[in-house]
Amino acid sequence: MKKYKILLAVLIVSFLGLIALRTIAANRISTDGVLLSKIQEEMAYYKTENLKYKERILALSSLSNISSKAASLGFIDSKIGFVVGRSVPIAARP
Amino acid sequence: MTWRLRISLFALFLGFFLVILRLFYWQVIKAEELTKLGLSQYGEIRKIMPQRGEILASDSFPLATNKVTYLVYANPKEIKDAVSISYKLAPLLKADDASISASLSQNLFWVSLGGGVESSVRNKIESLKIPGIGFEQEYTRLYPEASLAATLLGFVGKDDAGEALGYFGVEGYYDRLLRGKEGQALQINDATGRPILARTNPFSQGVDGESLKLTIDRVIQFSVEKKIKEGVERFGATSGMVGIVEPKTGRILAMASYPSFDPKTYSQYPSSSYVNHFISSLYEPGSTFKPLVMSGALNENKVTPQTRCPACGGPVSVGGYSLHTWNDKYYPNSTMTEVIQHSDNTGMVFVGQTLGLTKMLKYLDKFGIGKLTGIDLQGEVTPQIKPKSDWYEADLATTAFGQGVNVTPIELLTVFSAIANGGKMMKPHVVSEIITADGKKKTVEPQEVGKPISSATARVMTEMLVNAVEKGEASYARLKGYRIAGKTGTASIPIGGKYDPEKTIASFVGFGPADDSKFAMIVIFNKPTAAIYGSETAAPAFFSIAKDILNYYGIPPKQ
Repeated sequence: MKKYKILLAVLIVSFLGLIALRTIAANRISTDGVLLSKIQEEMAYYKTENLKYKERILALSSLSNISSKAASLGFIDSKIGFVVGRSVPIAARP
Repeated sequence: MTWRLRISLFALFLGFFLVILRLFYWQVIKAEELTKLGLSQYGEIRKIMPQRGEILASDSFPLATNKVTYLVYANPKEIKDAVSISYKLAPLLKADDASISASLSQNLFWVSLGGGVESSVRNKIESLKIPGIGFEQEYTRLYPEASLAATLLGFVGKDDAGEALGYFGVEGYYDRLLRGKEGQALQINDATGRPILARTNPFSQGVDGESLKLTIDRVIQFSVEKKIKEGVERFGATSGMVGIVEPKTGRILAMASYPSFDPKTYSQYPSSSYVNHFISSLYEPGSTFKPLVMSGALNENKVTPQTRCPACGGPVSVGGYSLHTWNDKYYPNSTMTEVIQHSDNTGMVFVGQTLGLTKMLKYLDKFGIGKLTGIDLQGEVTPQIKPKSDWYEADLATTAFGQGVNVTPIELLTVFSAIANGGKMMKPHVVSEIITADGKKKTVEPQEVGKPISSATARVMTEMLVNAVEKGEASYARLKGYRIAGKTGTASIPIGGKYDPEKTIASFVGFGPADDSKFAMIVIFNKPTAAIYGSETAAPAFFSIAKDILNYYGIPPKQ
């Protein structure tokens, strides 16, 4: 009879313990969704910002932009090609 | 008593069986239908559009990428004064105020006011603080180099369902790779059908499109586009095009047409400007075709560079037609080298007849005339080569000097590329690497598609073409110190069964440096008016571009 009482007590304690654990866990993770959502929003925001900066960088580094900027600054196309050949030795063995 | 128990038990089991049967009907057979019905009551499935893959130049600079834009929408139920708001929004959205007013007056919860709105415009609209106006982020195609390589890239339009679809060029050919796979998400609505401002739950992940790295060299492409525009304007041509290929690999380094179009505002241009004439238009190549026929005759040992032409002293009569040289000058007993140098039609008639029809058809086939090159661009066409039985004596003679036969510019460029590459013909291609959304790279290897002529023949033909550049009609324009192989062409335009005496297609095809070719190039001007000959129009443009390329590659002159 005593054994049954102990078993019953263990079961009740376990039951109450698990309920308490569940309550604590639920309470802790209940705000994680909001946090996750916030993180996702931030990720989307930075992704968008990155794309906007990329767009600006591409516009500024495009050859058509560089070419027109160079022309407006007075640069002209080089008509002479420079070729760097093999250097002449300072001293050669006979 | 027993039978009553049995009946009760049977009734009980039957009842349970019917309930299980009905449950099975609703839970299994009708499950999908009921799910959809339930879903329609509390939410809707929304498509998550994948980001379209980028198209990169060989230096990894994006020629086509995506930019963030916004779809502007409104809830007409929250709009108090539709007319005054439409006056404020119309100039910002570049739309008619009447149409905006009409949209805002509808008895709906959601109406679209326009897409593709830039961030700056969004900020301006937001600053107006109009209740009931919202924004949805979307992606639109961005071409950072504007119209650079537009006919090669193609553009992104809409299909019948309003979805983005690539048309022409790379966008069209690789559309399935670039577009990716769309995902799906559940948007939960409230009792009135309005979307709840909560994160949508994606239940089917989409895959962003794959990016493509092209073989196109942005610097060469930019320079070529500038030069072809200048050439068209200078020579009063209706259009012009340039194609450059790396002979050893078949990689297209540049492909430009003028006039062209801006892929961003493609709808403002005539549809004819979208066509990449380089792969989609046929023309009679004229004298630029002679090296192909001569290569065949050399390869078959029918002639040598020193073989003398016995019928080059005057016009030749073939099949009832009198065939002349382009300038009515004749060079009796000229060698085959001189035939190419003078672009002598009568000499080529001799070569064609010496080669014979069977061998002529064999070499047309081996050089890929009448077959698609397989270039990875949408819209390639190929001419139909007549069956052997339909050839007349005059056809063989005229084909030998490039008349009565049609080619696409890419076909001819591939032929010259094969001569430059020691007889090995490479498949022309524009994509060098496919990059998946997770960054994995797959290299597109060069592909040899045949060897129409031997290495020895290619070397001999190259020398004949170098001689043509140095001593031929276009020698004034050649680059001193460089060995460039090439051939001029002035093709007549057939109209109503006759050739137009005033309009021509002027071209120059060649490669350099002749001993270790880094590029093969074709320059074509359509109907130039300032001068009609290839030697006076296409040749100087060719050498001007060749000089830029040689400087760019740092190849010094040898003499």
